[in-house]
Amino acid sequence: MRLADLIGGAIVLVLGLAVIFFSSQMQYYSEFGPGPGFLPLWIGIGITGCAVVLILNLLRKHEKVGAFLKTRTREGFKLLIIVIATFFLLPFVGFSIGFGLFAGITMRIMGRHGWVVCGLTAVGIAIGIRYVFGHWLSIPLPAGVVGW
Amino acid sequence: MGFSISLTPVNILYCLAGCFFGQIVGVLPGIGAPTAIALLLPLTFSVNPTSAIIMFAGIYYGVAYGGTITSVLINVPGESSTVMTCVDGYQMALKGRAGAALSVSVIGSWIAGTISVAILMCFAPALAKFALRFGPAEFFGLAFMSFGLLTVFGADEPMKTIISTLIGLLIATIGLDVVSGMPRFAFGVPQLLGGFDFIVVICGIFGLAEVFNSIEEPEEGHLLKKKMSLRDLFLTKAEWIASRWAILRGGIIGFLIGIIPAGGITTASFLAYLAEKRISKHPERFGTGAIEGVASPEAANNAASISGFAPLLALGIPGSPTTAVMLAGFMMWGIRPGPLLFQTKPDLVWGLISSKFIGNFILLLMNIFLIPLFVMILRVPYTILMCFIVIFAAVGAFAVNNNMFDVWMMLGFGVLGYIMKKLNYPIVPLVLALVLGNLAENSLRQALTISGGSFSIFVTRPISALFILAAILAYLSPLIRWVLKGPRRPKVDVS
Repeated sequence: MRLADLIGGAIVLVLGLAVIFFSSQMQYYSEFGPGPGFLPLWIGIGITGCAVVLILNLLRKHEKVGAFLKTRTREGFKLLIIVIATFFLLPFVGFSIGFGLFAGITMRIMGRHGWVVCGLTAVGIAIGIRYVFGHWLSIPLPAGVVGW
Repeated sequence: MGFSISLTPVNILYCLAGCFFGQIVGVLPGIGAPTAIALLLPLTFSVNPTSAIIMFAGIYYGVAYGGTITSVLINVPGESSTVMTCVDGYQMALKGRAGAALSVSVIGSWIAGTISVAILMCFAPALAKFALRFGPAEFFGLAFMSFGLLTVFGADEPMKTIISTLIGLLIATIGLDVVSGMPRFAFGVPQLLGGFDFIVVICGIFGLAEVFNSIEEPEEGHLLKKKMSLRDLFLTKAEWIASRWAILRGGIIGFLIGIIPAGGITTASFLAYLAEKRISKHPERFGTGAIEGVASPEAANNAASISGFAPLLALGIPGSPTTAVMLAGFMMWGIRPGPLLFQTKPDLVWGLISSKFIGNFILLLMNIFLIPLFVMILRVPYTILMCFIVIFAAVGAFAVNNNMFDVWMMLGFGVLGYIMKKLNYPIVPLVLALVLGNLAENSLRQALTISGGSFSIFVTRPISALFILAAILAYLSPLIRWVLKGPRRPKVDVS
């Protein structure tokens, strides 16, 4: 966890420095008062300063607190991959079918539910999305190649 | 005026739906009030704002009621605000007094909630009248103080709280600058010129991130199988005597904590429990099934959930993540909460406040008669629940601008929220800073323009000076604490 915290602190430090760099290219002060770069610059300085203190504190301490990767972290990654794949598919298959498939696959892979339950849930969710969001709430959801 | 609005059939229905949904959300571990409201917010574009906000308020305090059921019956808090209820509530359940624990929490919540609404009715307009004197310097001071208070109430690691706040402010600056029209941090991406929509951020950071975290650390408990009859819900005379003052004290503490920006209902319930334990003649009973240990935090969290609306409505400053999400809702409907809201939208303000009387009464009835139904909901597999959260978050993000870019951004914020939580960076400061970012920046720039660039404007105006002083003390609180008590804070033993 200490290593993860250090990496996190380093990323925050890089973010702070990047904010300082980009905001220094904006106008700091104009004739009407503070310019668009005023607050971002101070935010960048604040982030950088805090990150430095955080990293120094972490380097000073040597205690181990918890672990970044846990036994069930893999499950989270599985879901993330399924979600990313679904989002890629959505413009082609549409929201109704896309999320129907998402629910069925997720329940099968992560919940170990039976094929019949997963299939019925997938169909139910696809129909539900079409009618609740598409018709009832009038959200113009992408229909995809199937047109549904 | 308020009751003529909140008692219309449509608004009663919205209030009922909000309370019912809030109760369900409270029962389900891993999904909280901000997540629920964030996921539903985009679906209320076409709903009357008064009805929608009545429903969301119902969800907010419904969650506080619902979380108690799991705290008492399975020793798993459905909501962070009911963590303290687990301590004595579950012990009471093990002793066969689950009914009494649930009963005292419902009655306590109802009494404290009702008193809280009555005080809110007097207090909020007075606060709004006072806030009419506020200029840009005062509003900046108030926002600055709110960020500072997060450091006090925030977490064990103040530096991470400040970083989280600054990242929230940074996200708020993305897009076209309102004064100069210059793009900031858009990097030539046209979708970023309008900045990140708040709904996209909260759907990711509350909805999706919560799913990833819940998969990794599932909150499991064992439901007590003992059957409960209506008679079990009645308190004995001794239990009632023991809990009546605890309810009142908890209600007062909750109300006071709720009105402090960044106070929140979780802090209120913690402080109420600790206060009750401290003044008790038998503190050793706490943790073994003391009814005061259930009554006080429950009264406090409900009172705080109601008084938290005072800074939101009167000042436009949210006191908790849930009211921050509601502030986003107000903005979505084109309403700016603040001192003028009581004059420009009296129907909304009084309709909302009076609906809390009705909501509390609905929840009282629901909790007496529908507990078996809510217990049944606990058996819904989490896989199904998480599918629904992902779908609602994605559709909600898409509905903002009808484009897939927002859906991908929502996923990005989900991953950010997940990593932040894993590394102990609190999410709430980011959300509050994001929602208050524009107010803070605009007020700062206006104030400095008025003063010709001199920062003295913030200390020469008394109210602003008071806010700035409070903020500085709040930011320095970890250092003050370190000087007074040594580098490590004493941990509260609630085991």
